[in-house]
Amino acid sequence: MLANQMQGGLGTPGALSHAYVQHPPLRCDIPDIRGLFYDDANKFLIAPTADRILYWKIAPSTPSGPPNSDPVNEGSVLSVRYSLDHKAIGIQRSRHEIEFRNRETGETCSRKCRADSETILGFFWTDCPTCDVILVKTSGLDLLAYEPQTHAFRLVESKKFNVSWYLYTHESRLILLASGMQCTIFTGYQFSAGGIVKIPKFEMTMSKSEANNKPVLAVDDVHIVTVYGRIYCLQLDRVSISLNLYRFYRDAVVQQCTLPTYSSRIAVSAVDNIIMVHQIDPKVVILYDVFLDSYAPVSAPLPLLVRGLPSNIRQASQAADSQSSAYGGTIYGEGWNFLIPDLICDGENGLLWKLHLDLEAIAASSSDAPSVLEFLQRRKSDPSMVKTLCLAIVRTIILERRPVATVAKAIDVLLDSYSRLIKMGVALPGVRRTHEQNQQSGGQPVEGSHVISQVPSTGTAVSPAVNPDEASGVVNRSLQSNSGVEHGIDRALLNTSSDSDEITNISGATGQGTSGHQTSDAANKRQQVVGEDSRPLSSGTSMQHGLHAGSVSISPIEMFQSVFALVEDEMMGDPAYLIAIIMEFLRSVSRSGLKAPHNLYVMMTMLLARSNRYAEIALFVSNKILEPSKELAVQLIELGLHHPPTRKLGMDMLRERGLHHDYVAALLQDGYYLEALRYARKYKVITVQPALFLEKAVAKNSAQSLAAVLSFFCEFTPSFKTTSDFGRYRHILREMEMV
Amino acid sequence: MGLSSAAAGDGAQLCVFDLRRGQQEGQELDKILFFHPADCPILLQLSVIGLCEGIVTFTRIFSPEEDCEVIESEKHSHVFYQAEPDIWMVLVVEKTKDDESTWRCGALQGILKEAHSLFAMFHGPIRTLLDRQPSAELARCHLRTFLTDYFSDFYVGKKLQFPTYRDSLKERGTIQMLTVSREAALEVQSLTTVLGSCLGNVTCQSLILFEDLLVSTTLPPDDTLNLYTYAVLRLTPRALFSNASSWSYLRKGTSVNAGPTSSSSNGTTAGERPLLREKLSKGKDGFIAADFSATEVRGAVPLTSILWFQQAEERMYLCIYQHKSLTILLLIPASSLINGEEGITHVKKQMLENASQKIVAVEQKLSRGWGGENAYHVSGYRYLLVDPDRRVSRASPPGKVTTLAKDSLLALNRLRQEVDLEKARYKRSDPCIDKDFEVCIRTKNNAWVVAKISRGRELYMALEKGGETLLYASTAVEKFSNRYCEGAFSTD
Repeated sequence: MLANQMQGGLGTPGALSHAYVQHPPLRCDIPDIRGLFYDDANKFLIAPTADRILYWKIAPSTPSGPPNSDPVNEGSVLSVRYSLDHKAIGIQRSRHEIEFRNRETGETCSRKCRADSETILGFFWTDCPTCDVILVKTSGLDLLAYEPQTHAFRLVESKKFNVSWYLYTHESRLILLASGMQCTIFTGYQFSAGGIVKIPKFEMTMSKSEANNKPVLAVDDVHIVTVYGRIYCLQLDRVSISLNLYRFYRDAVVQQCTLPTYSSRIAVSAVDNIIMVHQIDPKVVILYDVFLDSYAPVSAPLPLLVRGLPSNIRQASQAADSQSSAYGGTIYGEGWNFLIPDLICDGENGLLWKLHLDLEAIAASSSDAPSVLEFLQRRKSDPSMVKTLCLAIVRTIILERRPVATVAKAIDVLLDSYSRLIKMGVALPGVRRTHEQNQQSGGQPVEGSHVISQVPSTGTAVSPAVNPDEASGVVNRSLQSNSGVEHGIDRALLNTSSDSDEITNISGATGQGTSGHQTSDAANKRQQVVGEDSRPLSSGTSMQHGLHAGSVSISPIEMFQSVFALVEDEMMGDPAYLIAIIMEFLRSVSRSGLKAPHNLYVMMTMLLARSNRYAEIALFVSNKILEPSKELAVQLIELGLHHPPTRKLGMDMLRERGLHHDYVAALLQDGYYLEALRYARKYKVITVQPALFLEKAVAKNSAQSLAAVLSFFCEFTPSFKTTSDFGRYRHILREMEMV
Repeated sequence: MGLSSAAAGDGAQLCVFDLRRGQQEGQELDKILFFHPADCPILLQLSVIGLCEGIVTFTRIFSPEEDCEVIESEKHSHVFYQAEPDIWMVLVVEKTKDDESTWRCGALQGILKEAHSLFAMFHGPIRTLLDRQPSAELARCHLRTFLTDYFSDFYVGKKLQFPTYRDSLKERGTIQMLTVSREAALEVQSLTTVLGSCLGNVTCQSLILFEDLLVSTTLPPDDTLNLYTYAVLRLTPRALFSNASSWSYLRKGTSVNAGPTSSSSNGTTAGERPLLREKLSKGKDGFIAADFSATEVRGAVPLTSILWFQQAEERMYLCIYQHKSLTILLLIPASSLINGEEGITHVKKQMLENASQKIVAVEQKLSRGWGGENAYHVSGYRYLLVDPDRRVSRASPPGKVTTLAKDSLLALNRLRQEVDLEKARYKRSDPCIDKDFEVCIRTKNNAWVVAKISRGRELYMALEKGGETLLYASTAVEKFSNRYCEGAFSTD
């Protein structure tokens, strides 16, 4: 079904959106709740009532049942955050007080600040080794350690500076503290399990408005976004209506580019490592995939779609407004709150939506198959869909007879992705098994795709110790010779976390993807030039991508089963093209150090024979492009019925593979019974029936031959004399001699 | 070129004649399509051809299916080859007292066969030429220039020197392949695909050679063999180098004489004298082409050869591209190229654009894996391996073969002659069945000379530092077979 869509749809427009939210949403419009809060560290959607806190754990998937609840003291609630081990709840009660409650004992304690000189802007729990809670105040940060026995907090350290507002995401472990007249001066810290990293102070750029009054940067205009384990920050410049993209390194913040914007308000989500920039005013989304440091949008701005609405409404009109009326809210309505990383909370209607990418539509929007495949191979959210799409794309470009070079590039993309997975030595049992199956000689490639698709997409986190790239977080020192300045600068990457397990536990599927990339980003950080001071950055490690790419990767066996085997019939008119494609596939397979399934060689041989290219079969057998196997040997022998030299190739292959029984049988079939006997004696082949040899000798009508064969078997197999064959053929021999 | 000046002094005669012509008394001359030496008196020519015709007709009485192959007389050998039905090529070689004139009939026939195959590739079958122009002027003219150019290779000094017993570890009419790793082979095939697509929708054929060895081909075996032979004779870097070498310079003056005087009228072009050494050179663009600017006035005649491929049943333009040791022969179907030279220029451009990178990469890869001219030397062995099915052979490098004693080589020559006869005998009895056999001979100089035929494949070997026993010889063969022939000759 999908394949049909692809055939028609690839490269043709018609996709109405590239991102969607799935109907129905999680409904959290419970009466009596006093607002909705989001705890991004635990992925809890929290709804406090007068004396309880209700929460939904919305990762890895949105729940369907009623919320959990915790009793709390009465009082106003400004924000709620559960501790990372879920043992305590922190509730900000006012601008001066935070209450912490032990969930087991119900004990509470509170932390207050000096009401006269400072206010609490917020707080968050951290997995940093030295402290557990960070309190953000207008006067700076308080790092607190929690002592569970006494349910008390100890001040570990206090960092003093003025803070206008702050921004923190647990995903990045990064806090940005804005200060200055325009709030454009930022101090940043990363509180990760690896320790505390202070980001150098930096300033975001703001255009001057005409009136020369200085605009102030608002917290709503700055977004921290984490993709591929890298941390970026998007800053909306309301004056020039443009979006500045910064990337964080350990020792620097580098502006990467300025993205076009079509709205005075934007929101940012990260779905499956794609940055979604929501243009609130025109109600469209622009997608960016920054993996290769390319900042061109993935596709044109398109509206966000609500999927799964009753079909009659969808058919009636596709307009956003009618969609809205269908679910009772407004797309990009006032109440929409964008939660990290990929959620939308409609506060007005009490709905929680999860954002999705429409990979099919994105794939269909570009005809550049290799790039589309690269894009898809980087996706984690829907592995089986990605796989199906990728296979369909490859099939389509073959059927459309795109230039061989293009198809070769597409195949390279898929096999590179697969071989990276294999090289990482990922402990995905399904994948490993497929790979081994692949290498078995003569093994039938059984249900390879089946095995792969069984691999669960979550919970297969790999301990970071296995990761050879673990060290990439380490500062690399390398001087770039082309730099115009006298010294190179070390620029290590700012990673989201040095403990990938932790992230995985917290954030499920998305976190998993992140952890996979956490150390890989160094590799992809190609030489970049810092805009202003043109000091080059160095990168050290090799290109590695995605520990967890396993589920989307496509093995050579699957390529055979889902591409070549399926297109073969339709390509019959032009076997030369398919042969060229298979050749490129083999080249790619060999380059990646993989093995192709034997059936592919059999298919290739058949295609060559069908085009009467027997000489090339011989060439490819001799230079091992067609890897020897029993299947291939049998195929060659069969084809050889019309072309004796090819039959010999098959026979030779049987002999070289040590398939003695088959070799003897084949010799016999061709009438070389004496040669067969000699061979049988040398390799002690006793499985071929003596009667077959005897029959050939009889057919020759030579008493001499028959006598020779008879006496051979009498010696070779001592029990032969007792068999009925012996008697029968001795009788025949006697009759022959009498004539 | 040199034939006329060489006179009859070289002791060899070569004639091509057509038995369907000149059957009326008085018109015998009409039979002769080519005679060397050209200055041989007509009566002598007629008597040679008359003898040959007589023998051919006489032997047909006994053996209507098989052609007469050779007549050995006291002073001469007449080697026969029926190139096309009723068109015969006969080589008459003079025997000398010493061993130097010990040759093998099959090897001499091989020369005639090769000459004819190449001729047919460039000019089409002789019969076709005769049919097209019954006066035979065209056929004679082509044969004269072509065979003159072809046999110029066999001159040593002023004498025609044909292969002798010293060449018994060589097999004319076979291809020598380069052994490549699987990885390199796949790269080469990828290049072949690109080459094939130079013309757009119609696939171009190609041959790729590294040094003098074939790497890949898309043509059927016979056509591959012919083109490969041509490439090794004239186009590979080594051949091009010898094209420009000094000895050819000596004959430069005579080349015009040898060329037919009628050339100005019907235009003897590059395509028509493809074996003329002096004119081929590599251009700045990497393509090898004939350079005529100096000697001849160019008209509207094609610069690029059109070749006739018998097995592929197609006429194709030949473009030759060379990058370092890599020679690429690109064949463009003539039927799909309407605008001639212009179209070829376009294809060449396409090829440079699409394939240059791959060509460089393949050349590098092959160079890295290349073991030099002694790459296929196996120490202790002097061998020749022939696979007639694939028309492929591999042999000890010539430099190593020359170290063999004369007695070993003579014995080997003799053995091969015997094997040739034996093979012919088996072929007559049942052409479909391969007969295995093996001969080991202890020579006068205590060397072992071995011939082994197994499932159609042939192995010839001379072992000089061998042991005393036959067991030693057969073990040596077994070892060689297992190590270098995937056990193809290890039957027992």
